[in-house]
Parts: sequence; C-alpha cells; structure tokens
Amino acid sequence: VDLMVVGINHRTAPVEIREKFSFNAKQIVEVNRLLRDKASLEENLILSTCNRMEIYAVGNHCKDHVNNIENFLSQFHNLDILDYKDRLYVYKGREAIEHLFKVATGLDSMVIGEMEILGQVKKAYQDARKSRTVGKVLNRLFEKAFNTAKKVRTETSINRGAISVSSVAVRLAKKILGQLHDKKVLVIGAGKVGEQLVVYLKKEGIESILVTNRTFEKAESLAATFVATAVPFEDFRPRLAETDIIITSTGAPHYILHKDEMLSLMPLRKQRPLFIIDLAVPRDVDAEINKIDNIYLYDIDDLQKTVDETYVHRKNELDDCLKIIVSSSQNFINWLSSERLVDEK
Amino acid sequence: MLTHNSPIQLQNLFFSLHAITIFFSFIAFSVASVAAALYLIQDNLLKNKKVGLISNQLPNLLFLDKLNYRSIGLGFPILTLSIIIGFIWNKYVRGIYWSYNPREIYSLILWLIYALILHVRLSAKLRGKKVAQWSLFAFCIIIFTLFGNCR
Repeated sequence: VDLMVVGINHRTAPVEIREKFSFNAKQIVEVNRLLRDKASLEENLILSTCNRMEIYAVGNHCKDHVNNIENFLSQFHNLDILDYKDRLYVYKGREAIEHLFKVATGLDSMVIGEMEILGQVKKAYQDARKSRTVGKVLNRLFEKAFNTAKKVRTETSINRGAISVSSVAVRLAKKILGQLHDKKVLVIGAGKVGEQLVVYLKKEGIESILVTNRTFEKAESLAATFVATAVPFEDFRPRLAETDIIITSTGAPHYILHKDEMLSLMPLRKQRPLFIIDLAVPRDVDAEINKIDNIYLYDIDDLQKTVDETYVHRKNELDDCLKIIVSSSQNFINWLSSERLVDEK
Repeated sequence: MLTHNSPIQLQNLFFSLHAITIFFSFIAFSVASVAAALYLIQDNLLKNKKVGLISNQLPNLLFLDKLNYRSIGLGFPILTLSIIIGFIWNKYVRGIYWSYNPREIYSLILWLIYALILHVRLSAKLRGKKVAQWSLFAFCIIIFTLFGNCR
C-alpha cells in the first residue's frame, strides 16, 4: 500500500490561504466519503483545524493518488491547485508517519508542545470512523499516534511551562494566593495584555473585579466588558486593603503605587499576601515594593522572561521527543511489513 | 494527695502520658516546621522571580502558611498538656513541681515562643514569612531541648 499525507499548514501558508482549504466540521463525515470515491482511495482521513488542513490517505494499485487528492481539493474548494502547489506539502511512507506523530504530539504546532491539537486529531479520527473511510492501516496508525503522544507527554516535559504572559501571571497568582475564585482583583488603567489577563482570571472563577481609570468613561466601558465594577480613579486607594491581585497598566509617567503607602497598607490587610502585576511601561509600581513581606511584584519583563524560558525549555526537549517519534514510526513500519502491506524497511 | 510516696504504677502512668503527649506535639511541630521551611523556599523563589520547576513542584504559599499555623494550633495544646503532666510527674518523683533543670527551662521557653506565634498569627499582626521564620526558630529549640540536654 501507499501511505501519504497531503496538507497545508501555518508554516506553508497564511490564514487567507489556509481558510480556502479548510473544511466545515459539520460536513467532514460526508466529505471523507466523497473524497474516498472521487480519489479512489482505500482509506482516508481529513484533519481540518485553524492551523492546518491535512488529508491522510492509503491507496493501492500504484495510481497517482496525490494527483487525485489535489484534483479533489481544487474541485471541492473551487480553486486552481497550480496556484498553491508550493503551499501544499506531500509526505509518503515513513515521512508521512513521522509527520502525523509530530502533529499529534504538538511538535508541528505554532506553540511547540501544545496539547489542544491532540484532541483535534482524535476528533478527526472519530469523524473518519463515522464515515467508514478508515480501515486496517489508518486505524492502526492513529492508535499509534495517540500512544506516541501519550508517551511523549509522560516521558518528556515538552508541554511544561506557561506560554503566555497571562498564563504565567495566573500560575503565579495560584502559587501565591492558592484558590483564586474568592479573590478580589483591581485593574488600574486599560491595556490589551491587562484585558487578556482579566479574561484568564475570570476563567479561574474570579468574580470580584474592580476597574479604575483616569477617564471614568473608559473604566465604565471596560467594566461592562468584564462584568466588573467601575471605580472613579480618586476612590480606588481605600479599596486596596481588600484587594488580592492588582493589575496596573496606565500610561502615567510616574509611579501610581508607592512603597510608603503599601507599607502602611499591609497591617490594614492583616498581612494577607498581595500580588501586584505591573504591565505598564514606564512602570506604575515602585520596584522597592517587592521587598515588603507578603507582597509579590512582577513587571512585564519578569513575566516575559518566564515565557521565554518555557520556549527554550521546550526546544531543548525536542530531541527526546523526536527519538520517541522515530522509534514509534519504526514500530509501525515493522507492523506494516509483518502484515505484508509494505516491503519498506 | 500527690507525694513522692505515691505508688510506682501511678508514677509510670504519668511518665508514659508525658512521653506520649511530648511525642505527638513533636510530630505536630515537625509538620509545622517542614511547612515553614517549604514556605520560606517558595517565598524566596517567588520574590526573586525564579519560577521554574522547583517553584512549580512546591505547594502554594497559602496552603503552607495554613499548614504551619494549624499544626502549631494542634501541637500547642498538646505541649501544654504535656508540660502540666510533667509538673505532676515531677511532684510524684521529686516532691516539687519545678526543679529549674535546663530541660524544664527550655520547655517553658518553647511554650512561650509557640504561644507568641499563635498570638501574632491569630491577632493577624504577622503572617506568612515572619511566622514561618519564627516557627523554624522554635523548632531549633525543640531539637536542642530534646537532644541537646540528653545526659
């Protein structure tokens, strides 16, 4: 048999092109059958996510299956495949197997080692089973892919660490404050990163959020998007004593929070720990505040550094992951030849 | 009443009770000081922005602070009981409650320190790092009292 994959992904094409090739999740089951018939394949499976569209196929009779698949794509999506020849990649045999294993373990993802893709691959496999377009080879191949992903996850630490400033901040908040759902957040100033962070905190179940801004209208509109309470800028200081997490991102050229103020604040808050996240440049919070007991101050660089460390760490883990993938592929190829499905070594 | 002529069985009973309660308070204070030590490590990592693998594996500060505080809260009444039993036993054996030997003095110092820790923690004057430091200090005195005075 011939095992192959034809695809397009975030490395080879921008979203404007990728979206032309993508399939609607609702029609996948139908399209799998259509593809099998049109391209006269023995087995096939479509994986269509926002970052990639790939067709895994098993064919026979030495036909030009790749050409058939490309023709199918150009007919179905109504585009001239010649325009996109250099965007599409084709892998066969061992390369195709290794490619699938890399995809399933997240090594081919935009964020290396992310695990969301595994769920998407599983979904694609289930859809293909529903279409009855997968058989002996693809069944075995995808089972192997899921096993490999599991193995990579348990034997390496490729998926360890936080991969965005917001996720680092949330992780730190949990390390400092424990459970977050009953904690109180104060957002001073408006900014993109700050907004994203609030979304992350809300996911942790935080309900009590205060928003303040020099222009009160802005605070009000932010409060509306977060389902939070707006506080006039002059009135936020008395609320500090009851706050557990402070996020600052104002455009002020000077400090908003000073050391003396925070020193006198701590007895008022009965020394409960306070996590301050300063996202502003220039900074809003005096760095000396970090020296006060039970206050933990992180600025944007501190958070970014942790994110960078995650990426370095994941790159270092790549070799170990690839070793697992290569040996899994070899296993699969051995199985293929033991079943006399292929004479490749 | 309690005299040094009391039956030997009663003396043994009080001594056993004293030893058992000491043992349990020691366990509780050990847990407290492990929690305190981990707290100080985690606090140090978080303050210095070293949030890698170690910080990730350690429990969160709130948990460690609570564990320290609650273990002391458990150990302290047991220690108090143990000291009282110790007095009584002393009375049986030596005819006096208090004989100014180093062990007794250290025990009393220990009791006072833990009382102080509980007081500042309960009245919310101190929390977190300082409490952890104090409870580690107290544990050093325990080690000293238990092993430093063995003759």
